[in-house]
Amino acid sequence: MTVRAFRLSPGLKVASGLFLVVWSVIAAFPLVWTALMSFRLPLDALSSDPMAVILGPVTLARAGGVSVVDLVAVAVAAIAAWWLPARHGAAGARLLAVGGMEPLGWVLAALLYAVALGIVGLLVLPPLVGLVETIVGVLPLVGGLAPPVVGFTGEHYEAVWIARGFHKEFVNSITLTVGVVVVSLSVGTLAGYGLARARTPIAFWILVTALIFRALPHSVLVAGYLPPFLNSHEILQPLWEMPVLGPVLGLFSDTAPTLYGQPWAVVLVLVAINQPFTIWMLRSFFLSVPTELDEAARVDGCSQFGAFWRVIVPVMWPGVITTGLFSFLLAYNDYLVTSLLLDQANKTMVPAISQFLGSDNTTTDQIQAVAAAVSVTAPLFLLVMVFQRQIVSGLTLGAVKG
Amino acid sequence: MKTRTLLWFVAPSVALMLVFIALPLASVFWQSFFVTRTLFQEVTVESCQPGFLTQTCTTELRSQPILRDGKPVTERVFVGWENYRLVMRPDALVAAFSPGGGGWADVRQIDFWRALRFTLTFTLVTLPLVIGLGLVIALALNTAIASLRGPIIFVSLLPFIITPVVGALSIRWLFIGDGILTAALRWLTGENVIMFAQGWTIEVLLLTYRVWHVAPFAFIVFYAALQTVNQDTLESAVVDGASRFERLRYVILPHLAPFMVFVALIHLMDAYRVFDEIVGFSAQAHHISLQWLTYSLLMPDGSGSRAIGRASASSMLTMIGIVALLIPLLVRTWRDHHQKG
Amino acid sequence: MRQGFNRETMGMFKTLMLATALTVAVASGAQAACAFRNETPIRMLAASFPAWKAATDAMAECGNFQAELDLQFRDKQPAAMAAQPARYHIAGLAVNSLVPLLDQGTVRPLDDLVAKYGKDLLPNQLIRIDGKVMAIAILVNAQHLMYREDIYKQLGLSEPKTYDELLTQLETIKKSGLVQYPLGGTYRAGWDLATEFVNLYFGYGGAFIGAGNVPTVNNTSGQRTLEMMKKLTAYMDPEYLASDAPYVAKQFQQGKIAVSNLWATRAGAMDDPKESTVVGKVVMAAAPAAVPGGKPATTIWWDGFAIAKNIPDAEADTAFRVALEGIDGEMVRANNDLAVWLSKDYKPGRAARGAAESAQGGATPYPATTAMGLMQTALAQNLPGFFTGAQTAEQTLARIEAAYTTAARERGLLR
Repeated sequence: MTVRAFRLSPGLKVASGLFLVVWSVIAAFPLVWTALMSFRLPLDALSSDPMAVILGPVTLARAGGVSVVDLVAVAVAAIAAWWLPARHGAAGARLLAVGGMEPLGWVLAALLYAVALGIVGLLVLPPLVGLVETIVGVLPLVGGLAPPVVGFTGEHYEAVWIARGFHKEFVNSITLTVGVVVVSLSVGTLAGYGLARARTPIAFWILVTALIFRALPHSVLVAGYLPPFLNSHEILQPLWEMPVLGPVLGLFSDTAPTLYGQPWAVVLVLVAINQPFTIWMLRSFFLSVPTELDEAARVDGCSQFGAFWRVIVPVMWPGVITTGLFSFLLAYNDYLVTSLLLDQANKTMVPAISQFLGSDNTTTDQIQAVAAAVSVTAPLFLLVMVFQRQIVSGLTLGAVKG
Repeated sequence: MKTRTLLWFVAPSVALMLVFIALPLASVFWQSFFVTRTLFQEVTVESCQPGFLTQTCTTELRSQPILRDGKPVTERVFVGWENYRLVMRPDALVAAFSPGGGGWADVRQIDFWRALRFTLTFTLVTLPLVIGLGLVIALALNTAIASLRGPIIFVSLLPFIITPVVGALSIRWLFIGDGILTAALRWLTGENVIMFAQGWTIEVLLLTYRVWHVAPFAFIVFYAALQTVNQDTLESAVVDGASRFERLRYVILPHLAPFMVFVALIHLMDAYRVFDEIVGFSAQAHHISLQWLTYSLLMPDGSGSRAIGRASASSMLTMIGIVALLIPLLVRTWRDHHQKG
Repeated sequence: MRQGFNRETMGMFKTLMLATALTVAVASGAQAACAFRNETPIRMLAASFPAWKAATDAMAECGNFQAELDLQFRDKQPAAMAAQPARYHIAGLAVNSLVPLLDQGTVRPLDDLVAKYGKDLLPNQLIRIDGKVMAIAILVNAQHLMYREDIYKQLGLSEPKTYDELLTQLETIKKSGLVQYPLGGTYRAGWDLATEFVNLYFGYGGAFIGAGNVPTVNNTSGQRTLEMMKKLTAYMDPEYLASDAPYVAKQFQQGKIAVSNLWATRAGAMDDPKESTVVGKVVMAAAPAAVPGGKPATTIWWDGFAIAKNIPDAEADTAFRVALEGIDGEMVRANNDLAVWLSKDYKPGRAARGAAESAQGGATPYPATTAMGLMQTALAQNLPGFFTGAQTAEQTLARIEAAYTTAARERGLLR
């Protein structure tokens, strides 16, 4: 962008650059530090000496470490992992867009990328680096780069993912989140579109009520759910015994269900809590889509829904993706609802972490919790890497204009 | 669009909100006027508890609930405004300001007013900081080299996307005890700063954490909005000899105004129900928020019962507060709606 | 990486293989070390700490068993046990969390099951209320004194018998500069702080509840307790209002504190070389008395289990048998130092001395009543104000009584 108006004097340029550097450090530091802790034994990780956390002397002595060669390799791999989706992500998504559905292409590309990253990072890279290390180790001048210098241990990740079965919680989290995003967007796009095109005061009142609903403290709602969720079998059973409704409901389940511990019930709760934000975002987005588009379709004889389906759906994806990301964050990061309404069999990652952090645990458990916390963040990293441009363009297209 | 068509479009969404938000809310409103009591009887009971090798048995007069069909007998009593009175304590409020009372110092001894004080400070202080920081980052980034923008956006978004539980955890560990940042502060100031030992440092930490967490959201919204600033207007402003500040003041900021309202709206709502940070930093000895007050009343106490009546009253009061804060923004929305309609 | 990552990866694969093998083994029904093969799905909710982890792992050996270890189990348990049918067959509980279940009538008497299967149970494991066995205790727990023997020897100090004695010792330790803070206290605002108050208050001979369920905490014992607690805080980490048991244990392990009144379930961790820099240096002893010649100022707690009432008798029968498998001799022998187990196979070691001496010294068992539950909550909510300096001791005690009275009226205890 070479707009003259945004061009800066040298002094201001330095100041603005410096500010960005400082901000980036502040933004990233807590997470980088936490990640560093997760690779150290408790004695290093919880030490008050920062150098102990950075270099991990105890970890180096007891559990081994990494060499300069390893660190260089990881840095190169990280830069490549960043550069690849940023440069070729869009092309990959277009390639994978089955039947012209761009969002599907994005989702497939993200999945493929995640799998590839896992394979390269865990299976290809370690032996490769080991080989380089052996070669460097016997060379005269650079030999010092090969022996381990910084403490490193993967045992906390191993304990979390394998011994403690964190992969189950990972699958639960992903299932729940995908459920919330899909339902929330399906229900929300319809409502958002309707509200954007309606001219009655009802639309306004629905929006304002939704706004107030969004402001509600969640603890109020959540505590209200617990007793009915536990006793829903008794409460709902009369519905199942009603003459007409009963047989219809009987198609879904033989008796009235106990909602407590049912992932789909939690999906509905999270969708409802998220609905106000979703319909506001999408309504604003649909306001920026010219009315002429669907009016033309109406003139051609489409019903309102037909117009929505044929004309609006194809152009709505930027707004939907951005809104979907916010739904994803809400569902994936939720603690209050999932910890209270789900049980052990379908517990998600975030409540599992705070369980790790229990009032009665050892320092090893605490570092395992840190490792779990870092693991939880990884999919969010990936998400932002892949969708970063979509977020900006979705917001640019007017999804948030009050 | 016809009203009937509209209703079909919004039906699933509205149904979900009715069942999972409006219904619980209505029951909360209803319950704020009631108290459910268990009927107790005094019985002499011998109970035995384990010691290390021996057993201690005591015979004592115990209050036990009267059980009928295996369930305790309860009575539901309409108490009018009693729950609200117990939460707001108007009597203590009057006493504080009557001659001989302690004034504000006394008011801050009452949990509800203490919570309200903190919640309002938290909301109103972080609001300009979040908007200001978000704006500065967005403006700075807009002038950065194009190839660096991607990585900087990515890094900037990290505090926002991070799971709140994880975020609070990592910040807590950076500061508590001899946490790395406390040590750094000590080195910088030369004073023995202990972050979790007194009220004001915790308050600063709570506010800073929230600004760190939410500023990226403001930033990304503003940055997206900056991409749609009318370039022609800007160019002609340059031609007219407008200074950098004037261009910011008269072209860019007016363009960003609706986005600021959006961010302010979202932030007001989220900050007013602050809760995670209080728990994450175990700040409750020094500061509590309104949602924390409601939550602590709702959680079962040592006898397994929940103060549902008082919790409902407290949450209704919280709601009234947030609606009052939102009124200016709601009025604006109403005007917009009328203009568009 | 040669030493670090590759070994890790190999280890990871091995564990993965092992995990797969284990899954297969469980799925095919080959249970290890369980007296019978369980066919009925049994569920349990308990607190989350290492002793419960060990016990529930042993129960899982019988198959078809699912344990939910949750820190917030107290928030869920009453509602979950009251559901029809009960959400959990077995309720893992501590002395105070049995009260809500008794009040609701959602746990069943166990006399018939004890007669049928309980031949290995010790008599003091049976928790009797009104003559009926309502729960089975599996371990006892108490906060007791732990101190650094090396520091005490170096400074020529002897084991403190009273809190006043401890105070003078703390002053000596502080002056010596050997540790960062002389004392560690689990004074985190809320439940922890309330429990510390309860310990000392009993030490001063106070009583919380009087006849007719009126509060009786606003007295000289209460004031002396608060004064002593305030004096002790002068020797603690200034962040004591955010310090819970794991945090204090961590400070102990890192050699930052010299003395603490800590839970018995933490004692074992002091000698864990993986985490502790003070292995073999920490000695466990009875909690000091509040007054000269008094009983140790602490309360004795127990953890155990109860069986739900809202389930069929056959399931209750199975659940009881599964639960007993969790505390069999094999488990106790394998996890001897994890807790002070109530089992004839338990060998009291170095770590158990503090709890044992406190109990034998006549420490008060924690009084599990409905009124005490309300009192504990009133303490938890109102004590912090005293320590932040917002209220005086008298104001604090008056606030505690007022909060208790409000809650007791709503509960129906006070008319």
